Amino acid sequence: MLTIKDLHVAVAGKEIIKGLDLEIRPGEVHAIMGLNGAGKSTLANTIAGRDDYEVTNGTIEFEGKDLLELEPHERVGEGLFLGFQYPVEIPGVSNLNFLRTALNSVRRYRGLEDMSAAEFMKLVKVKAAALQMDPEMLKRFVNVGFSGGEKKRNEMVQMAVLNPKLAVLDETDSGLDIDALKTVAEGINAQRRDDTAILLITHYQRLLSYVQPDVVHVMIDGRIVKSGGKELALELEEKGYADVA
Amino acid sequence: MDDQLITGYEGQVAALRGTVPGTDDLRAQALKDFADKGFPTARTEDWRYSDVRGLRQQVFGLAAPAATVPDLPETLGDVAARFVFVNGRYAEELSDLGDLWQAVQIRPLANHFMSNADRVAELVRGDDGVALLNTALLRDGIVLSIPAGVEIDDPIEILHVMTGADAAAAHVRHVIELGEGAVANIVERFVGDDTAYWTNAMLQARIAESAKLTHIRLQEEGAAAIHTAKAFVNVDAEGRYVAASLSTGGRVARFEAHVRLLGEEADAVIDGVALAATGQSHDMRTHVSHKVPAATSSQVFRTIADSRGKTSFAGKVTVDKDAQKTDAVQSFKALVFDKTAEANAKPELEIFADDVKCGHGATVGELDAKAIFYLTSRGIDPATARQMLVAAFTAAALERVPFDAVRDAMAARIDAWMAARADKSV
Repeated sequence: MLTIKDLHVAVAGKEIIKGLDLEIRPGEVHAIMGLNGAGKSTLANTIAGRDDYEVTNGTIEFEGKDLLELEPHERVGEGLFLGFQYPVEIPGVSNLNFLRTALNSVRRYRGLEDMSAAEFMKLVKVKAAALQMDPEMLKRFVNVGFSGGEKKRNEMVQMAVLNPKLAVLDETDSGLDIDALKTVAEGINAQRRDDTAILLITHYQRLLSYVQPDVVHVMIDGRIVKSGGKELALELEEKGYADVA
Repeated sequence: MDDQLITGYEGQVAALRGTVPGTDDLRAQALKDFADKGFPTARTEDWRYSDVRGLRQQVFGLAAPAATVPDLPETLGDVAARFVFVNGRYAEELSDLGDLWQAVQIRPLANHFMSNADRVAELVRGDDGVALLNTALLRDGIVLSIPAGVEIDDPIEILHVMTGADAAAAHVRHVIELGEGAVANIVERFVGDDTAYWTNAMLQARIAESAKLTHIRLQEEGAAAIHTAKAFVNVDAEGRYVAASLSTGGRVARFEAHVRLLGEEADAVIDGVALAATGQSHDMRTHVSHKVPAATSSQVFRTIADSRGKTSFAGKVTVDKDAQKTDAVQSFKALVFDKTAEANAKPELEIFADDVKCGHGATVGELDAKAIFYLTSRGIDPATARQMLVAAFTAAALERVPFDAVRDAMAARIDAWMAARADKSV
């Protein structure tokens, strides 16, 4: 589904990712773990297409397409989703308007008709309820006045509504209390199917107790230095990055 | 000032003699003052952001009646009445008075002073060349007197249309009077073709005790037009003036609101949005004068300037010595789309009372790149993302428009303005 080869990425002229390879197949959940500054978020943002992230070398293919040739919104149309580490507040734009515009944009990209207002409301209510989001929050401006946990929950509602093939979740577990973590994990697990894949980017092992990864990668200084099964996450937790890598 | 200009406008004043009975002396005096003052220049402080060089370069003739009846835009939702002015002349056959005449005294300006000769003194003369010329050359306008206690719920639309009026001007003057407790809602609209005309409009309103006037403006003049407009509003105790304007048209456009709060607990709301496309200039100026204690005013202005576009806002609030417990707030925010776009802000507070609450804020910025990425990362294309952010940005200045159909029409024009520039990359 996702194939990254020899990826090099520079931000403001400084190389952050220094030759990264990654292969994710349908049905798989991968976790990339690493310390701050290892380049995890840069990887996530590069996959999503943030324009100040310059790919200096390498390729990213998504379902056989050259992802780097596509604009960020086109990547979403192809089935990609980025869960933000720091979701952005957008005053004046309601969550509902945002979600509906997003969903219909994706549908149009795929040559589908817009979803009717009634159908959309039904869908959103179901998804919000599954993630235990207060329906009132759907009427509020996007992420404005939301707590850290509420913002992450909102990311999961967006993911559920857009139903991506590949979700890249950047530190979705950070800033969550244990109850919110469980809810978010349920949201992720609900998205886990034979035809979808998930890339979790995280600092800590704790999310991985609720979302069992198939493959764990250790990222240090812009490269994946080690890959293994889910037991690698536990090993990292015990011994620290220096020893494992 | 250039003799040719003065001679030209003298000829126009002479031609208008007798058209509005009772105003000949007023015209002559206004013309004399105009000749002394001339048009504003780049050195005139209040006009430094409005480039009205065009007014000094030629005499704008009096717009002739239209050769053909233009297509009129639809009203914005239900209206109580519609008054249409074509090239500055009242077009009775295009207007629709509805049932308004049953409750409201309606007169063309020309008849207003026939039976009320002394009321000529109530006409605002103005104190700069542009306003003085309006006074010297006023010929048409609508005079609406809403009797005490009468409430006209639906908007009363005043539509100004300019057509085939190259190098010609319309100097309209409307007079709105609300008796005690009366309610009226005026929607002024300005449209025109691509000729290089000049709209010079003035509206004066008197809002008696506990009366309420809503004054919405949609300025969508043709692309080559100069638009100068002023509103002079007096508000008595517990009266309310609620204004909102959207300015998208013209090459050089300017709107001034001069509001005097003359009675306790009088309230003024003045909001506005201006969108300057490439080469356009929009200047919005307000002066709210708190003359008495416990009056309130609140202003929200949002402007956007595209490449080589210019928006300006000057908001002046004066609080007299006796105007204790004044509450006056002002918020101005401007977006500029690139480095060639210009936004000017000039808040000006003159406060002579000590127990007042006056606040103002002014910011100039660009569209939030992080927000655009967030929206596009959910599948929304960049043009739509920018449109959503602009709609959100301007919404604060439209939310006090009390009619959904009018507010929606204003928002739709903002969307259309963004859609027209959708292929641009910022």
